[in-house]
Amino acid sequence: MGANAEAGAMTAVPDSSAPAARKMPWSRLLADKSVRAGLGLAAFFAFWQAVTGLGLVDGFLLPSPFAVAQALWEMALDGSLWIHLAASLQRVAVGFLLACVVGLALGLVCGWWRSVSDFVRPVVEALRPIPPLAWIPITILWFGLGDAASYFLVFLGAVFPAFVATYTAVRGLDRNQMNAALCLGAKPWQLFWDVLIPASLPIILPGLRIALGVGWMCVVTAELIAAQTGLGYLIQQSRMLFQINNVVAGMVTIGLVGFAMSAILERIERRVNAWAPSERN
Amino acid sequence: MLANASLMSPAAPGLAPQFSPEDVQIDIRNVGKVYGSKVEAPVIALDGVTLRIRRGEFISLLGPSGCGKSTLLGIIAGFQSATSGQLLQDGRPITKPDPSRTVVFQDYALFGWMTVQQNVEFGLKAKGMPKAERAEIARALIATVRLNGFEDKFPHQMSGGMKQRAAIARALAPDPDILLMDEPFGALDAQTRVLLQEEIARISSEAGKTVIFVTHGIDEAVFLADRVVVMSPRPGRVREEVLVPLPRPRTAEMRSDPWFVSTVNDLWETLKPEWQKGE
Repeated sequence: MGANAEAGAMTAVPDSSAPAARKMPWSRLLADKSVRAGLGLAAFFAFWQAVTGLGLVDGFLLPSPFAVAQALWEMALDGSLWIHLAASLQRVAVGFLLACVVGLALGLVCGWWRSVSDFVRPVVEALRPIPPLAWIPITILWFGLGDAASYFLVFLGAVFPAFVATYTAVRGLDRNQMNAALCLGAKPWQLFWDVLIPASLPIILPGLRIALGVGWMCVVTAELIAAQTGLGYLIQQSRMLFQINNVVAGMVTIGLVGFAMSAILERIERRVNAWAPSERN
Repeated sequence: MLANASLMSPAAPGLAPQFSPEDVQIDIRNVGKVYGSKVEAPVIALDGVTLRIRRGEFISLLGPSGCGKSTLLGIIAGFQSATSGQLLQDGRPITKPDPSRTVVFQDYALFGWMTVQQNVEFGLKAKGMPKAERAEIARALIATVRLNGFEDKFPHQMSGGMKQRAAIARALAPDPDILLMDEPFGALDAQTRVLLQEEIARISSEAGKTVIFVTHGIDEAVFLADRVVVMSPRPGRVREEVLVPLPRPRTAEMRSDPWFVSTVNDLWETLKPEWQKGE
């Protein structure tokens, strides 16, 4: 917007600034964040294409972006891509929602009552370092090879970031703000919905974005071993059939979907937390 | 020059003012506050503080940092409890925060996710007041603190002085009996501070509220108060009281009144050693 106004001022003074005005579009284009993001991605794919196209890397070890795009296109046409993608998305949604409910509730309780957190936090901190991969054997033992196993693994991956963010947010609440609300006669519901929750969201929401990212990684891990559908299963199956193009196509899909999810959540965060110092430049 | 007979009478430091018992709104009896556990050495924040505050009186609690004046205000607000002694409001013990005693904080403590209008409406919403009614009252209060036109702004879009005006309007909204102000102008620049002092002088006499104003600014304390309660640190005690005979509402020209000037100077001379110790 500032750049537009500047450009307008430039054209109003014709001769002296004419060369500068001609240069404007490029620099203005480069100032755009999404243009920069697009250029970065384009450069990455160009490098990939160069490495594979020039024969520096064997096509069997790493297919070219075009081969991967073609594989994606074929799977999109025969519908298998959508079935696997939907299966993965559904699993991550269920597991993530469960993690949100448990993580938020536990985080709120532990953040609010110090005595509760003294009991709960050691348990959480001891469970947290166990990677979801290490949970797989016992998960299969408990839940078998169905969807429930995947829900559980996504839940395990996402619940800790959700808990830690909520706990940190409630812990860090401004004492004076709480006191201000109390002396104004705030009822418990008002203290919760109008003060505690909005004051915590600038820390909770980024935590949930990280939780979703971890959950997305976990669902693929789960599907590599304990599922018959999903993007992880697609990769695993293609590997066994020596379809390297499909393997990479699955990876690319995972990357792009994860990127999109995080971008969408970031947009929501910006809107909800527009008032917070962390969202302003 | 103010031709007021009361200005000629000397202030009576150390003498508690005489007033009838039914006039007493806040009765602080021998209140003490000790921080710390059995393990660490306890810190005596307040020691035997006795203070009776009249309905409608403007009290300045003056003292260097660490003299317990903010602690005392927090206890009057009900945010923390006294270790010993008794605190009564209209004869009833103070046990928890209540909308009859609202607080203005040094750091404003506005709700950053709410507009000015929503901030001011908060205490009215707590009362269960219908939407239209509370919007109207909030608008009137925003006009009182001269923030008209900023109703839909968020705190981060305003200057420090404007934020504190909004916080004052928010504290006035539940129509409290007592307004507690904890170094409210401490974070503001000198000019804004002077303007807001005059503003609070006007608002407090218009609204007729009891005000307890915590500050470490001597001129501010004397300019605003009917009675300046001077506190000394470690342990926090009431050291002396100064009755201010200037008429209300206070206006800017009273700052050059000879009584005002000499009282501020005298207070500075007596407090200097303590202030230096606290450095």
